[in-house]
Parts: sequence; structure tokens; C-alpha cells
Amino acid sequence: MSTAAKQALVLLVGGLLIGAVILRLARKRLLSTRYAIGWLVIGGMVAVAAALMPFVGRLGRLANMTPTAVLLTMSSVLLLAISVQLSISVSLLQERLRTTAEAHALLARRLDELEQRGRV
Amino acid sequence: MSGHPSVLVVIPAFNERDCIGGVIDEVRAAGFDCLVVDDGSRDETADIAAAHGAAVVRLPINLGVGGALRTGFRYAHFHGFTTVVQVDADGQHVAEHIDELLTALDDRDLDLVIGSRFAADSTYRMTYVRRLCVRLLSFVIRHSGKADISDPTSGFRAIRSPLLEAFAADFPAHYLGDTFEAVLVAARRGYHVGEIPVGMRDRQGGRPSADLHALVVSMLRACTVLLTGTTFDLPVRPPQVPT
Repeated sequence: MSTAAKQALVLLVGGLLIGAVILRLARKRLLSTRYAIGWLVIGGMVAVAAALMPFVGRLGRLANMTPTAVLLTMSSVLLLAISVQLSISVSLLQERLRTTAEAHALLARRLDELEQRGRV
Repeated sequence: MSGHPSVLVVIPAFNERDCIGGVIDEVRAAGFDCLVVDDGSRDETADIAAAHGAAVVRLPINLGVGGALRTGFRYAHFHGFTTVVQVDADGQHVAEHIDELLTALDDRDLDLVIGSRFAADSTYRMTYVRRLCVRLLSFVIRHSGKADISDPTSGFRAIRSPLLEAFAADFPAHYLGDTFEAVLVAARRGYHVGEIPVGMRDRQGGRPSADLHALVVSMLRACTVLLTGTTFDLPVRPPQVPT
């Protein structure tokens, strides 16, 4: 088997593996559908990445980098973007949690006041 | 008191201060108890709703229609209602048709009945793309073999026990989860799902919370849900003991 074919096979299996893991997590309700879709798309891109190899080679020649360097750079940028997106999600959740905690506390206080009034 | 003591009309509302008063008046005039679930509105929706005589639950954060509805289902279940009628806060649903929904529940022994917008006398207009998406979703449900629903994204529907308790326990909060996905999963789990044609009006004011982009995205997720079978938990319909 040629190197290119081996590469293509590894990428295909890798992509399918990612897909299988994500589906398993989604079925166990550990991943919301939103993130499942995102990761399935990434898995799909990995699986067919072999077809994009010539494009990567051209980019490498343009930027004076080896194809491997190009791929590493692209992967790093992708992982960075995912990290930032998750940071944004977490920040949003923190704000919503804070609002809910405040509402909960004020509600409990109102209940206490009503109960006091009932007793006197 | 209302003429239908075991029926609760649930109206999820997000920034609907222009329409909510009129909707509540119409529902109460039709003789129903009314609960408005304020989905973290930034305007006076909750206050206006209370002033018009509806019971109001104020969510501290915005959960989306599904989240607001599940809150309504939990309220209904806790207070002993056996049937919930979902009515939109934008005035598109006509309160006089609620009786038709309830009659269909009884006559056809249904757990969930949907008021379909595709009726002859409807003045309701829908963009071509939207109509196409709805047709696609309808085809998917029909293809699953469990139910024949031409308008699975309609929010005008009635739900009763035992499906009401099941939804109170778990119900999707994402866009189209509360309409299309809920219908599909309920049908798959053995609940009796049906549909009747009703006329609807155009939105009476305010702004819709979903747009074309959201619709396309949710079509994608609907496909994913079908392919992967990842969806919300719903217990299989328990056998009903005839009384």
C-alpha cells in the first residue's frame, strides 16, 4: 500500500472512531445534541481529509511549510477555536447560574417572611 | 371558576407585552384557566399577564419555549390538571378552536392532538422555505410509520395524561424540540398522536423569536436526531385501565 493510501486509511478510521465515540456519548445523554453535531462534523472532516491532501500540499508550498506543518497549524487553530467557544459557553452558564441563585435566595426569603406573617 | 376544571391553558411568553393581554382575555372568555410562563422577559409581560387575570410563573432566566412549556407541564401536574392546551402568546392561535382540540382528544382517544395550520379557511401566511421545512418534517414523521401529522411544528396543541406527566418529567428545550421532536418521540413510544385542521391568524404584534437561520439549523439537528436516535427520554406509554 502506498504512503498516501495508508494516510487516507488512518484518517478515515480516525474520523469514524471520533464519530462512534461522539454517538456513544450522545446516546448516554452526556453530550447535548448541539455539541454532538459539531463534533460529528469535525469527525466527518477528518474522515475525508485524505481527499484534501493535494490542497494542503499547495498551501504548504505557498507558505513555505511542509504539509505536516500545515496540518499541525490547522489542527492547532481548530482546537484553539473550540477552546474559545467553550470558554464563551461557560461564561454564559456562569451568568445564568448566578441569576438563578439570586432569584432562588430572594424567593426563599419571601417565603420566610410570609410564614412569619402567618404565625403572628 | 372556569368551565373546564381539569384543563389548563399554558402560554409561554417572551417579551410579548403587546399581545399577551389580548390572548389572555380571549382564552378566559372561552372559559379556561390560564397560566402564563414568563420566560425571562425584559419587559412588563408578566405584570400585564397578572393584571389580565392569568396565573403567572416567572422564570429567572430565559430557557426557550421548551423550557417554559415543561415548567407549565410541571405546574399543571402539581395542581392536578389532566389536560394542558398550549397557546402561543402572539395571538396566532384562536381560542375558540380549543374546544375542537379537546373534543378530538376524547373522540379519538388521543394523548396529543395538534392543531394544523394547513386548513382551507386559514388566513395564515407562511414563507415558501418555512412551508418546505414543515413539509419535510411531516414526511419524516409519516415515514416513521407512527403518526400522520401534516403540521408537526404547530405550537397549538392539547396534551393529556399519561403523556402530560411524561412531559413534565422530561421535555426538550431546544428549538423545534418542543414541537417536532416531541411529536416524533411521543409517537415512537406508543402515545396516541393525532391532528385536526384549525384556522390561525397572523402574529398580532411584537417580533418572532425565531428566524430563517434558526430554522435551517434546527432542520439539521432534526436530521441528526433521527439518524443518531439521540433524543429526550420518554417512558413508553403505560397501558390504560378503562374506567
